[in-house]
Amino acid sequence: MSSEPIERRVSYLGDRLKASRCQICGKEYFEIRDYCGNCGRKSFGKMDSIDLFYEKGKLELCTLVTEPTNKFTKLGSYVYGIVSFHDGKIRVPGRLTDHIVKDGEVIDFSALEGREVIPRFRRRYSVDKSDVIPTISLAFTLADEYYPHQEYAVAQPDKEYDVPGIVGYGVYTSRFRIKEEGLERAVPFIDEDAVTAAVEAGKLALIHSGVDSALVGKIYVGSESNPYAVKPIAAKVAQVLKLGEEDEDIQGVDAIDTEFACKAASSMFKDAVSLVNYPKSGIKYAMVIGADNSQAAPRGCPGGELDLFVGFGGSAFIFGKNDVIAEIEGWYSCTSDTPDFWRRDGELFPMHGGRFTGDPAYFKHIRKAATRLMERLNLRAGDINYFVTHQPNPQFPVRVAKELGFKDEQYAVSLQVNKFGNTYSGSSPIGLAAVLDVAKPEERILITSYGSGAGSDAYLLRTTSQIIGKRPRQKITVKYQAENPFVEYVDYPTYRRLKLGM
Amino acid sequence: MQNRPAIVAVGRTKFGEHYGKEPEKLIEEAWLAASRECDIERRDLEACYLSDCFLPITNKLGLEEGFLSELTELHVPMEVTRSVSAALLTACHAIQAGAYNTVLVGGIEKMTDRWGKIRDDLMLLEDPWSYYAGGTPEVNHELMLRAYVQKYGVTGENLEKLNIALAQVAVKNHANAMKNEYAQFQRKITVDQVLNARKAARKPLGFYDFAPISDGASALILTSEALAKKMTASPVYVLGCSSATDYLDFPAREDLTHFVAVKIAMENALKMAGINLWDIQVVELYDQSTVLEMVSLEDMGFCEQGTAWKSIHESCQDYKGYYEINGKKLFTNMNGGLKADGNPLGATGGAQIFEIFKQLRGEAGERQVKTDKTPMHGCSLELEGFGTKGYVCILGRESR
Repeated sequence: MSSEPIERRVSYLGDRLKASRCQICGKEYFEIRDYCGNCGRKSFGKMDSIDLFYEKGKLELCTLVTEPTNKFTKLGSYVYGIVSFHDGKIRVPGRLTDHIVKDGEVIDFSALEGREVIPRFRRRYSVDKSDVIPTISLAFTLADEYYPHQEYAVAQPDKEYDVPGIVGYGVYTSRFRIKEEGLERAVPFIDEDAVTAAVEAGKLALIHSGVDSALVGKIYVGSESNPYAVKPIAAKVAQVLKLGEEDEDIQGVDAIDTEFACKAASSMFKDAVSLVNYPKSGIKYAMVIGADNSQAAPRGCPGGELDLFVGFGGSAFIFGKNDVIAEIEGWYSCTSDTPDFWRRDGELFPMHGGRFTGDPAYFKHIRKAATRLMERLNLRAGDINYFVTHQPNPQFPVRVAKELGFKDEQYAVSLQVNKFGNTYSGSSPIGLAAVLDVAKPEERILITSYGSGAGSDAYLLRTTSQIIGKRPRQKITVKYQAENPFVEYVDYPTYRRLKLGM
Repeated sequence: MQNRPAIVAVGRTKFGEHYGKEPEKLIEEAWLAASRECDIERRDLEACYLSDCFLPITNKLGLEEGFLSELTELHVPMEVTRSVSAALLTACHAIQAGAYNTVLVGGIEKMTDRWGKIRDDLMLLEDPWSYYAGGTPEVNHELMLRAYVQKYGVTGENLEKLNIALAQVAVKNHANAMKNEYAQFQRKITVDQVLNARKAARKPLGFYDFAPISDGASALILTSEALAKKMTASPVYVLGCSSATDYLDFPAREDLTHFVAVKIAMENALKMAGINLWDIQVVELYDQSTVLEMVSLEDMGFCEQGTAWKSIHESCQDYKGYYEINGKKLFTNMNGGLKADGNPLGATGGAQIFEIFKQLRGEAGERQVKTDKTPMHGCSLELEGFGTKGYVCILGRESR
């Protein structure tokens, strides 16, 4: 779209699916209305804003699009229809996403009609490389497939902790996978990227934590695959998830993108807890998201070795002092100027230093951060229940865990690279989420991140009793996504095409 | 209706692809054709009402009034609307108000000049949210059919009959267009072709269910009842002319199986004309798709809701040139409809009026409806968008 004001208005309404309801007659409208068409003048000031973003809809009618308009051609063929909310009070157009219609496949429309769907936040359509990337939530997935519907209910906090920590989290990966040599990796659908993954992960974290999004005062998004060189992912997340107090169409939240290869997100955990602990910050909760559509050159090209390992996904953690599920007991960070992996500005894909990425880079930094932190806290490997580390491939994390003295049962739970691939900024946080999904109260978790370039952050977390109570709110666990029966496997050319995106 | 407006002449171009012709050439052709039909000089025109749906987009022509002024050397008031029916409605009001005595109403569209982008333009202008969600110009027609089938519980054998009935609409319209020298498609198609195209597309509707993208122009000359007889021996009177409006956003409408704008426009036009529904023998419907021909028969009141497909199916078993509805004859889309005559949006309504005008004067040649005597009343239905606007125009041989 050539008009940026139109783009901004459409995104503002369509990304979140904002709607209105008349207090007098109950009529509902997709879009924001100042008054009701039925009730006229007397309804001024009596329109409630309602939200379809966390709702479940129904696919009322559908058909197949085989010849899309120009901007949708990269989607190929797709199911398109009308989705209703609130027993048909609101009807919106929409397409089914995460659904590959095969050549010649005949769709039984009547079998789809009547099924429940949930809105997903996606890219809207293709635009020129220099244009703003349009997004929308008029893309739906079937509620009884990969992503079940989950309600977002704000919970009043029970308890304030002295030590801040994680109050909720969410992991988002796509439904598609490529399976090669025993390694499964998540593949984004063609309308997904780091931005959409960040929003979806943040949505899941809000659902899990029960935190009122208006109380989130800071959002950090770490990524190395932001589709923009300049334009923060965090601003999109803040707007779509309504972080901070909303005033007109501006969110009262500080939003920032961070970059340090694969530790861009995990590095901010300590900043987030420090911020919520600072007495005058006025910030109750801070959210940290790591999301990547991990980039790699095609096989056979320079840097193409990474193509065997890259995945897709995002993770979001909310930090605060209320209803903490894991307190952060300490951390240690280290950095050196080690050029083991980089991407020059304007280049599509990153390069790496080959052998140089191992011992002098990954292992050296993680060992340093982990041992220093354990020394500082006077802990040995045996005192720690779970070890989580960055997972660029299946071998590195196992080797470093063993070197640090951890046993299989301490690190196996966190190993997710075999299921989702290297999700870059999302990698060690997804490992942490997998641990939090199963950890019992009063258990110690050591997580070490690694970012090329290079540095590592080590954190020690201790779970609280609240970890059990909050667990039922999150159906979409790491395991659920890894072992989901609706996962669809794609071949190499499809994987490259989907990854390239719209 | 006081001071009934009368049409004294009509003209049009062939519809289709006019690759080599500039838009002004087309409107000139249509206007000259109309002017030859009656005793009128261009200097007699006191105003012009023109229409185009998106000439500024397709041909980057912002002020088509300007080139009409150049062609006619006239400096009279000229206004532009989006459809010929809208132009005609406005012109009727002006004549009735006594503002002008004689006006030119014309329309033009040149869609093929923007071949690669026209479907994006059509859908974005028709229903932006549906466009943003991935909709094409075809989807709303298909979803309306799905809604219709659901609402009226058409299943099994009946559903098969309904699908065949819709195919027959296209077949019938193509057959009619064989007798229309101006039509875009002058070739026969078969029910099997229509059905196979749907099968190939794997959708409820296929290639042969939709009207094409076209270029063309049409024009007519409108005057007051008092002057009409001086210009032609047999004027055709505008007995009723009405419009109504509905939401842009199709999914948000209450009824997804019908066009409320058409129902309202038809009721008002009938009231205005002071005739009964079945006084109308000839209709030109807006069959942008075969579904719309079916649904319009219901919206206009000729068929009861949920039954039009049965009448179509039965009439087409042994097609005699008309739909037989409850024992009454209705001649529908004699020019081939939008499906076969063509659909240059801003000019389409002019071709519909052209056809009714010719039929009422008994001048439709091979296409002339087979009735005991020349029909007294005809009616046209034109839409803008996907039922966002509905225009009904009832014409009669006699002023009442």
